[in-house]
Amino acid sequence: MMAGDVASAVINEAGGPPEWLSLALDASPLDVRSLLAQGVDPFATVMEAASGIEFGGSLVIDAPFNPSPLRRILAGRGFSSYGRKLNEGHWRVFFHLDGGVDWESGAEVDVGPEGAMTWREEDGLHIDVRKLTPPNPMLAILRLIERAGPGETVVVHHEREPHFLAPELAERGWRIARVSSEVVNVRLWLERMS
Amino acid sequence: MFPGSFMMGAKDRLLPPSVPYRFFVAAAAFHLLAWVLLLVGNDGILGFAGGQGMVLAALHLITLGTLAMTAMGAAIQLLPVATRRPLGPIWAIKLMFILYVPGVALFAGGLAHAVAWVQHAGATLSVAGLVLFGGLVGANLRKVGDLPGVTRHAWLAVASLIGLAVLGLLLVIDFTKGFLPDHGAAAAAHAVLAGYGFMGMLALGFSYVLIPMFVLGSAVPDVVGKRTALLSGLGLAVGAGGALAGFGPAAALGILLGLAATAVYLRGMLASLKTRMKKRLEPFFRMVWVAWALLPLSLLAGLAPALGAPLDPWAGLWGFLLVFGWLLSFVTAILQRIMPFLASMHSSALGGKPALLSHLAPKLPVDIHLGCHVAALVLVSTALAGGWVWPLRLGLIAGLAGAVAFGVYTVEVLRRYRSHMAAAAAAAAQQG
Repeated sequence: MMAGDVASAVINEAGGPPEWLSLALDASPLDVRSLLAQGVDPFATVMEAASGIEFGGSLVIDAPFNPSPLRRILAGRGFSSYGRKLNEGHWRVFFHLDGGVDWESGAEVDVGPEGAMTWREEDGLHIDVRKLTPPNPMLAILRLIERAGPGETVVVHHEREPHFLAPELAERGWRIARVSSEVVNVRLWLERMS
Repeated sequence: MFPGSFMMGAKDRLLPPSVPYRFFVAAAAFHLLAWVLLLVGNDGILGFAGGQGMVLAALHLITLGTLAMTAMGAAIQLLPVATRRPLGPIWAIKLMFILYVPGVALFAGGLAHAVAWVQHAGATLSVAGLVLFGGLVGANLRKVGDLPGVTRHAWLAVASLIGLAVLGLLLVIDFTKGFLPDHGAAAAAHAVLAGYGFMGMLALGFSYVLIPMFVLGSAVPDVVGKRTALLSGLGLAVGAGGALAGFGPAAALGILLGLAATAVYLRGMLASLKTRMKKRLEPFFRMVWVAWALLPLSLLAGLAPALGAPLDPWAGLWGFLLVFGWLLSFVTAILQRIMPFLASMHSSALGGKPALLSHLAPKLPVDIHLGCHVAALVLVSTALAGGWVWPLRLGLIAGLAGAVAFGVYTVEVLRRYRSHMAAAAAAAAQQG
């Protein structure tokens, strides 16, 4: 997919892209999907690429999922970010070094009080709790299921299987319906118990 | 996509439930036995200043049999999940249990009846179990860098364990050989390292994970854990050193550092409680309040003899508030919560619905335990302070009744869990 295609896909999304996106569209994407497929954590590669960006410059990452913890970490280093799911297993995230003033602008991602990022996809309400200090992941997940609509699935992005979560979910009439483990992304599908 | 995160999920596995539960059942049994021994040997409690007999045996049934046993059972299951690193092979954990349980029983029997070889055998087995535990915990914590609040306290606990084990073995040998220049001073240092060092540091470290998780409060900032670890470490070194040297001012300085650590710890805990999602605290938390109130009180009681007040009644009062007030209240509170919690975690193993925490934990036995435990604390403390026999006996009866209620609770949680699993197995067989 060319940069122009991405731009048009992004612009068609509700909310609209941030103004700086046009500056980032020319940057070549750093595709970390192959590294992750080999079981290699691409964090060092991404941080090395980010360290070479000057103020006003851009970095584009292609990943198999929304790399929320990376976005939080780079926001701390002054990068605004804007991410879009291009298709199944392919996210493109644009980073722009501008002080991180509007790092979630237009990204349709909410950040809760514990620092967890939530967004909506076709398969349900997603929440990314990776890199949060315990028990904040549990708090963020329980807070989210309390506002989930009837029949709605909550998809959790975690860094491990949260064993301590199951009793609290059960107490609220929820259960872990399915678990999938990928490199640095354990996904849990939470559903109401019938 | 962050450092050190590769394959995190593979290492945080659950142990078979029978492994931690054998420690919890043993802890509840030793708890009961300790109160029986105290009641049998009640005429030696007032004015107790050490020495072999029923009182020292009962004290060790609580410290080694209930407090340390619970710490072992909780740590083997909770530590690998919290640190995302395995604790060690299951055979090593089972060996720890096989060494430790008969060790504690023999040691208490040897102390109760003043039989040296039984004491030595029991002490050797107990220390072997504790060393194995310390080794497993130490190996687990070696490469953990993201839980400073927990790991620093756990390291202090491991260091205290080494000190208390060495002093404990010397004290046991001294009963027959009489080579220590001041048996009482060594015993006081041993008590400081055991109560505030080993058990106290485990209690603080685990608090930072367990209390916010159980009340659904915000995480305690790392800086709080770092401060309490620093103050506690200094307090333990100065306090235990002062006690060992028989130098009161140093012991008093150690206590003041301990009080400062307590203030920081309680402030951090209360800040987390303020943000909690669970507006109504669960029944176990009543016992946590009791423990938190008695932690600083035990330190204040210890300050009196350090500043020259007579050992009778202050030493006895200090020991009682430390072991039965702060530590036993806290440990039974945590045990009350983690037994059904772990059972619920395991209850969906056969694919059915998980058992609810609220269904696994009966309330009446814990209500009785709370009432009896608090009555025992008030009555025995009053008796120790005033030298009165009847409040003491009433307090011991209340303590025993509370231990029976806690035993009933332990058995009932297990019975409900097994009943849930049997129903789940039957449902799975029907579907298959």
